[in-house]
Order: sequence, then C-alpha cells, then structure tokens
Amino acid sequence: MALPGWMLYLIHTLFPANTRRPTELGADVLIIATGAILFYILIIKGRWRHVWTEWITTVDHKKIAVLYLIGALAMLFRAGVDALMLRTQLALPHQGLLSALEYDQLFTTHGTIMIFFMAMPFIFALFNAVIPLQIGSRDVAFPRLNAMSFWLFAFGALLLNMSFVVGGSPSAGWTAYPPLSENVFLPGVGQNYYLMSLLIAGIGTTMTGINFVVTILRMRAPGMTLMKLPLFAWSALMTSALIIFAFPPLTVALSMTLIDRLFQSSFFTLGHGGMPMMYVNLFWLFGHPEVYIVVLPAFGIFSEVVATFSSKRLFGYEVMVASLVSIMFLAYGTWVHHFFTMGAGPAVNAFFGLSTMLIAIPTGVKIFNWIFTMWGGRIRMTVAMLYQMAFIPTFVIGGATGIILATVPVDYQFHNTYFLVAHFHNVLIGGTLFGLLSGMYYWWPKMFGMKLDEHQGKWAFWLFFLGFWVTFFPQYLLGLEGMQRRMNTYPFGLGWHMLNVISTIGAFGMGAAFLVLVYNVVWSLRHGERDVTGDAWDGRTLEWAIPSPAPEYNFARIPVVNDRDPWWAMKESGATLANSLSASDIHAIELPKSTPVPFLLGASFFLFGFGMVFSWWYVAILGLLCVIGTLIYSGFNYEEHAMLSADAIRGTEASLGRLQA
Amino acid sequence: MAEPRTAPEESAREEGLAFLEPRVHAEGFPVAQVFGYAGSIILTFGSFFLVTRHLMPPVVLLAVILTLAVGQAALQLGVFMHIRESRGPAWQIVPLGLAFFIALGLIGMSVWIMMFKAGVS
Ligand code: HEM
Ligand SMILES: [Cu+2]
Repeated sequence: MALPGWMLYLIHTLFPANTRRPTELGADVLIIATGAILFYILIIKGRWRHVWTEWITTVDHKKIAVLYLIGALAMLFRAGVDALMLRTQLALPHQGLLSALEYDQLFTTHGTIMIFFMAMPFIFALFNAVIPLQIGSRDVAFPRLNAMSFWLFAFGALLLNMSFVVGGSPSAGWTAYPPLSENVFLPGVGQNYYLMSLLIAGIGTTMTGINFVVTILRMRAPGMTLMKLPLFAWSALMTSALIIFAFPPLTVALSMTLIDRLFQSSFFTLGHGGMPMMYVNLFWLFGHPEVYIVVLPAFGIFSEVVATFSSKRLFGYEVMVASLVSIMFLAYGTWVHHFFTMGAGPAVNAFFGLSTMLIAIPTGVKIFNWIFTMWGGRIRMTVAMLYQMAFIPTFVIGGATGIILATVPVDYQFHNTYFLVAHFHNVLIGGTLFGLLSGMYYWWPKMFGMKLDEHQGKWAFWLFFLGFWVTFFPQYLLGLEGMQRRMNTYPFGLGWHMLNVISTIGAFGMGAAFLVLVYNVVWSLRHGERDVTGDAWDGRTLEWAIPSPAPEYNFARIPVVNDRDPWWAMKESGATLANSLSASDIHAIELPKSTPVPFLLGASFFLFGFGMVFSWWYVAILGLLCVIGTLIYSGFNYEEHAMLSADAIRGTEASLGRLQA
Repeated sequence: MAEPRTAPEESAREEGLAFLEPRVHAEGFPVAQVFGYAGSIILTFGSFFLVTRHLMPPVVLLAVILTLAVGQAALQLGVFMHIRESRGPAWQIVPLGLAFFIALGLIGMSVWIMMFKAGVS
C-alpha cells in the first residue's frame, strides 16, 4: 500500500528515526495515557467548563500561582526522569543503555527544563501566591499581563517537551553554544525547538519581571515604606530587576542563532566572518544574572521562614537589604567566569575572577544574619525550617567550591569537569530547590487552606538531603580525578566507576524523595490539617492576616502598615482575626474580569513557534497573524473590570468569621 | 492600644491610588502612536537594508546604524514608554537610570572582553 507523498513527508518530518527509539515510544505511551485521562475528566465527566472559566481564563494571581506550581512540579518530574536516565547510563557505562546522541539529548533537556521550566515557574508560583498578599495589595499591577506570562511559559514548555517525540530533541546542552548548535553540525529541528521555546517563554518571563517591579514599587499598602517591605518582596524586586536587564541579551543571542539556522546568516558560524565566541559572551551576560535570578528568591524565602520559625524579628534587616541590592549589581559583573578558558587575556580574567569573589561578601553577610536570627530564638523544626537548616551548610559549601572555580588558574584545570557539575548542583539544589521547597511547605496553607503533612514531609526532606550529598559529593572527587562533564561512557580502570555507582544510588534516593513529596501533596490535599485561622505558623507578615486561602479580593479593607512585621505587631497589640472588621469598613471592590485572551495569545505563539521550528512558513505566518489579532481584540476590549458588591464581600467575610457582630 | 490602626479615610486612599486610573483620551485618533510606530518600523528596516546591501564602508555603516539605534531608543521611550507622563513621584527615572548604567557597563565590558579575538581565533 503506497501512502500519498505528503503523508510520507509529514511522517518523516514529524517522526524521524530518532523519535522511534524505545524511550521515545515509552514516552508516547505515557503521553497518550495522560491525554486519555485528561479527555475523560474534561469531556466525559464534563469538567471542561469549570476548568475553562475558573482556571484557563483566570487573571487572579492566586490561581495563576497554582497553575505555575503544577507546571513546575510536572517539569521537575520530567527533568528528574531525564537525570535518572543519565545517572543509570553512567553507573553502567558499557551496557549500551544510551547512545552518545541520546545522552546529549537527555542532559540538554534536563538542564534546559530544570532552569527555564522548573526553577523559573516555581519562583513565579511563589511570587504570585505571596507578593500581593505580603504588600497588602489586591492583585499584581497588570493582572492580564500576568496571565499572558503564564500562558507563554506553558506553551513554551509544551513546545520544548514535544521535541522528544515529534521531530527530535535538541542536543547541544542547555547553553547551546555555536558552532555546534548551527546547521552544519546539528541539522534537523531539535535546536529550533530549543530556540523557539526559550524565546516564547522568555517574553513571558520579561513581562513577569516588569509586572513585579511595578507591583512592588506602586501597589504597597499605605505606610509600607521600602524599608518596611518584607524581605521576600525585596528579593522579588531584585530578581525582577535582574530579569529585566538579563533577558534581552539572551533574546538577542537566541534570535541571532535562529536567524543563522533558518535564514542562513552567519552571526556565529565558523565561516563568513561569524564569531561564535560572541554568542558565549551574550549567553553568559544573561546566564550569570540568571543564576542569581533563581537563587535570590530562595534567599528571600529563607529570610521569612527563619524569622517565623525562630519567633524572632529578622536579624540585621537593613544589612540584608543592602546585600541583596549589592548582589544584584555584582551579578551583572561576573559573567566571564563561565569562559575563562576562552583566553580573553590575564587582565580580563583577573578582573572577573576578583569580581566573582566579591559576591561572597554580601552572601556571607546574609548567612551570618540568618544564623543570628536563629540565635536565641525559639526554633520550631518544621519541614520548611529543616530545608532552611540544610540550606545553610549546603550553600556554604557550594559557594566555597564556586570561589575555587573563580580562581582562574584553578579553573583551567576544573573547567567542564564533574567538579563543576557538583558545584552548580550544590548551589542549584542546596540553594534554589531547597529554598523553593521550603517556600512551598511554608506557604502551602495560604495557597490551599491546609497544611502539608509534616511527618511525610520530613521523610521527603531527609531523602532529598541525604540523596543530594550521596549523589554530588562523589562528583567532586570525580572532577578531581579528571572526569569530564557531558560524556556518556568512560573506560574502566580510571578509578571512576565506584564513585559513579555511588552517585547514581544517591540520585535514586532523590527520586524516591520526589515520590514521597508527591504522596505528601496528594495525601494532604485529602486529609491534611485544615488551616481555619489563616495564620498557620504564627506568622509575622501581612499574608497571614487574611483567611486561607485568601478570598478573591484578598483584603476586604486594605491594611495600614506601621511596622516591619505588621501582622506580628497587630497581634502584639491585641488584635485577633475575629474583631478586625466592621460592616461599615467594607466597600465595593473593582476586580479584573477573566478573559480568554492570555490563553489564546499563548496558543497563537505556539502555532507560530511550531511553524518556525519546521520552517513551515505558512503556519508561522498564520500563528503571527493570530498573535496580532488577539492583541488587537484585547486592546479594544474596554470591559475588563467588574464590581464586587459590598454586600457580597460582607457575606464572605462573615462566613469566615471575620466580621464584628 | 487595643485596636489595630484603622485605614485613613477611604477618599484619601483613592487619591493615593489615582495613578492606577487609566487615562484614556476617548475621542481623537492616536496620531503620535501611529507615527511613532511607522517611524520605528522605518528605522528598523532602514538599518537592515543598509547592512544587507553593503552600501557603505564598514566604519561609516557602524556609525550610521548606531545613530539610527539611538533614534529608535529615543522614539520608543518618548512615544510608547510614557517617559513624559507622571502623576506623583517619577518612579520611572530610577529604573531608567539603572538601565543606562547597566547597559553601558555591559557593552563597555563586552567590547573589552571581545578585543581578544585578534590574538586567538
Ligand atoms: C534530582 C537531582 C538531579 C540529578 C540526579 C541531576 C543529574 C544531572 C546529570 C547526570 C547531569 C549531566 C552531567 C553531564 O553529563 O555533564 C546534569 C546536568 C545539569 N543539571 Fe542536573 N541533576 C539534578 C537536579 C538538577 C536541578 C534541580 C537543576 C537546576 C535547577 C539542574 C541543572 C542542571 C544543569 C543546568 C545541567 C547542565 C546540562 C548541560 O550540561 O547542558 N539539575 N544533572
Ligand atoms: Cu556565573
């Protein structure tokens, strides 16, 4: 039976040989199964209307936070499975489990997804869930833009994840250096997927940065001066300042690579006067600020967690703020430490080596302040606090090995060895991931109205913590023994095998931790201890002054702030939750209306991206027209707000027991 | 003090938030925006054209497209980025100053870093 030509073309383009291997077919089965479950829930059980009106079209920052969180956890799973496959291959290097190409594809998607589609959305989940509440505001400054950011992230993530089964994965690492990432070396669509998905998600990220700068500068409750701003909000402000100026160089570098690949220009090619090292410079202009983008929020989270669970005011608030600001500036001036070996010369390398070491000072200051906050406090060992306690030594060691790598002559030895891999996982897991998990446990009651079970949480914590060290400590030794990163096999007899086996065992420990975490979440959603007070941890900042989960309008009456820990001060002065409001305090509130525009915008960008990936210009142009059409429709839609009547609010507050009789 | 402080008069708060009110000039065609848009397109395609057509020697070309770029930045800030509008404290000046500081720093340092290529590649 002969298929028509266009069908053969489609099959060969969409499903080339490298998407018909066992791993890919396994993924196909999983995707089809998930699709069937979704179809069952949405269509057969008729939940689609609820999902559409309550979630897909929402512009409420609290719901967007939940969506981000779901996305981040799903991506943690996907990239975690990638990691386990990589580790299995390295423990059994001669069984032919993964070919070199498959290994390349897996570490590329692992790294890219962990950074852009796990860490970033997880951070935005917590920003969205907490920042407006902490600063006493009813929403972010631009709610619709916020929803657009989310859908651009979601469709960008979809595009990247699709590459595995449709067309083929990217395989040039999460850094995608040319000339390897150019057409000559990697023909096919994999790199296009990488470029388009990051470009699309990057637009969303930049908009989120702008949104939170404006929100924090302009939407604070009366009385909340910048020096009364909670530290998590300060960290969000500094993170956003980094996003706004760090993402443009990435956009430039990616677009130029894309133009090279699709339109045969030669910005970064080897021939025709291209300059591949310019890409490296641009990429790390973004890349170093990016590592601070993912770690500053963790610093902010720990500053809140440590104060709450030590039942003490944060030690050295002003110094904490000053060190955040100076880290923000210094983070822009260190990027060359990622390519010392390019050989820009002793002056350049010495300058950037020193600027890198300088960052240790404000970071060290923060570490001491956290310790001094605990000093003499009444410490409660909750799961959130455990992650904080684990974070301090882990991050200090990660920072110290970073200083070693910043010493230029030493870096010439360690560059791109497992020493580096161990270092960056040390700070990314010990700093970012522990921070985000701490924040998730801490603010879960505020987001969902119930606590995550502490006992199960502690199991997950210990598995993560021990698994982490068992995985990555041997990798420092492997680095010292000369094992390079990104290699899928190695000869026996170099003393590497045992260490690799230990590392893999640790990785499976972390895999187990993730399973316990998921069990913890699912169990707690059903049986978790309900938070009826709104103040689950005896907190200090404004988000704990309102019910859990917060009502749609957050604050029935915008509070007035005259203390750095406003809610703590109110409690000290005898305020309780029940007596805070009288009926006459409550007025009608204007709220932004749900809209399908953000979802449609994301879908249009997806279409555009898909067309670009396969160089199907008509599809791409159609997608672009849809983008423009959606924006025009959105621009002429003047009815974007609705009033919530005072009586409705009184009803809600009364049912929560918050209205004076 | 047994009671938490209460909010100031509702009206005072509304005033403080007045900057959030959209300022829509309902009637009237947005002339400035349309011309600004056309101008920015012309500037973009102009420099693209100059570069792809090799009409000038490289040094002159660089000078010309840099000039066009400065014009583009000024146009974006002036027409679309509300640089001239402010009700209340001019918050936009701080990030703008930061942007110039960081951008110039990054460009300057990049030039310094990339000067190496004469010797190595
Ligand atoms: C579950 C724990 C994790 C394990 C077992 C793990 C394991 C690995 C492995 C085996 C590699 C490849 C090393 C190589 O062959 O060069 C890798 C690379 C990488 N990982 Fe992880 N990882 C974990 C978590 C994370 C997290 C949480 C992040 C970021 C937030 C992350 C970011 C990266 C990056 C950026 C790379 C570099 C990818 C590249 O070379 O292009 N990893 N990881
Ligand atoms: Cu760096």
